[in-house]
Order: sequence, then structure tokens, then C-alpha cells
Amino acid sequence: MEVTIISGSKPTKVKVEGRIDTTNAAQFQEKLDPLMKGENPDIEMDCAELEYTSSQGLRTFLMLQKSVMARGGKLVLTNMRPQVREVFDITGFSNIITIR
Amino acid sequence: MNTSLAHTVKRFEPINGRGAEIIEFIMAAPQVPEDPQLEFKVRLSVEEVVENVVRYAYAEGTDGFLEVEVALTTDSPQVLRITLKDGGLPFDPLTKEDPDITLSAEEREIGGLGIFLCKQLMDNLQYHREGECNVLVMEKNITE
Repeated sequence: MEVTIISGSKPTKVKVEGRIDTTNAAQFQEKLDPLMKGENPDIEMDCAELEYTSSQGLRTFLMLQKSVMARGGKLVLTNMRPQVREVFDITGFSNIITIR
Repeated sequence: MNTSLAHTVKRFEPINGRGAEIIEFIMAAPQVPEDPQLEFKVRLSVEEVVENVVRYAYAEGTDGFLEVEVALTTDSPQVLRITLKDGGLPFDPLTKEDPDITLSAEEREIGGLGIFLCKQLMDNLQYHREGECNVLVMEKNITE
């Protein structure tokens, strides 16, 4: 699992690749940590290469969404694969996070 | 009762920190069909319940076993049946209340989605207590 953050742009561009599962969910959260506080709470995250996420990954997505909203920003997830999208749909996350 | 092909069975003990290994063992069983869409749903469901057992079944500072069985019925339609048995504290994951997925992001609580996902992705889940053990049976219909 890789997270690339391109700061300096508005919105902040992020690319997440690979699988978020029980073995690396904590690292995923750590890697997103800079996005949970910075001054630019507008984030566009490219999920084209996100292959899988367990509930532990979802947890971090929700934390990020809460954090972004609290700072008046917007989180947009793009290019999500159908199977990952289904997980977001089932859990109602599609209704609370913008997916494009 | 359906008849089943050869089962894949293994008892893991101890289990602390071995969640990933147990999940991989189940997913590598020959009974699990090689269908990426099905595999995705089964893996996610298995991960959620196995992690739950590994983390919470046994009281902190103790450890125990997790016995897994993977079977595929020969009847049509075929059913993939994964059975997990642990000797931990009595816990029926199916009684856990479902999250309210209509709430806003602010109102949603962090966590509590694992068992819910499993319930949604599998076709049938059953829990029973067997002696001193928790037994969870997960079934997924295999459609052609």
C-alpha cells in the first residue's frame, strides 16, 4: 500500500495504491496523518489503484472526512474501482464522502 | 444437510498476531473458487471475522485456538461454507447492532463496520455455542 501526497496544489492531490488490510491499516492511517491537520483541507484522492480496503481502512477514510469537514474543507475520492465502491456503498460511506 | 467435498481444516494455536496468516490459509483453500469478485467479498468477510477473533476472543494477556474449516457443497447451487471455532469468551457477533448508515459524517461513529460488512457480503451467517466454544458458520452461494 502506497500513499503519495502532492502538497502545494489546491486541492491537495493524493494517490492511494494497493491494498488496505489488517496488516497495514495502521500504516495507512499514519500516512494520511499530514492530511488530518494541514492548512489546506481540500483533498482530491485518486483511488484508481486502490484494490481493496477492509473496515479498518474505512475507519481512516471516515476520520479523514470528519477532519476535513471540521476545517471547512472538502474530500473527494475519484476513479474508485467497482468492488471498492461497493464497500463504500454497503456501509453508507458513499453518502457521506464525495465519490466522483 | 448438504454433502460436501473434501474439507480443508486447520487448528491454529496460539493465534495472537496471526490474523493475516489465518486469512491467507482460508483464502488459499482449494474449495474457494477462483473468481475475483467472489474472492474479494469472501476475503473481506473472512478478514473481518478472523481479526475479531484474534483480537477479542481471548481475554487480554491470554491466548487460545482458532479452528477453521472450509467446505464446498456438491449440491447445486454450490455453497462455500467457512466455519470458525474458537474457545474464547462467549460472543455472538451477529447480535451486534448494525450501524445506522443513514447518519451524516459528523454523526457516524468511527469503527463498528466489520461484522456489518460480513453480514452484507455473505449469504448466510449463523452463530452457536458448542460446549465451551464459539462457532460461526459463514456461507456464500456460488452462482455460475
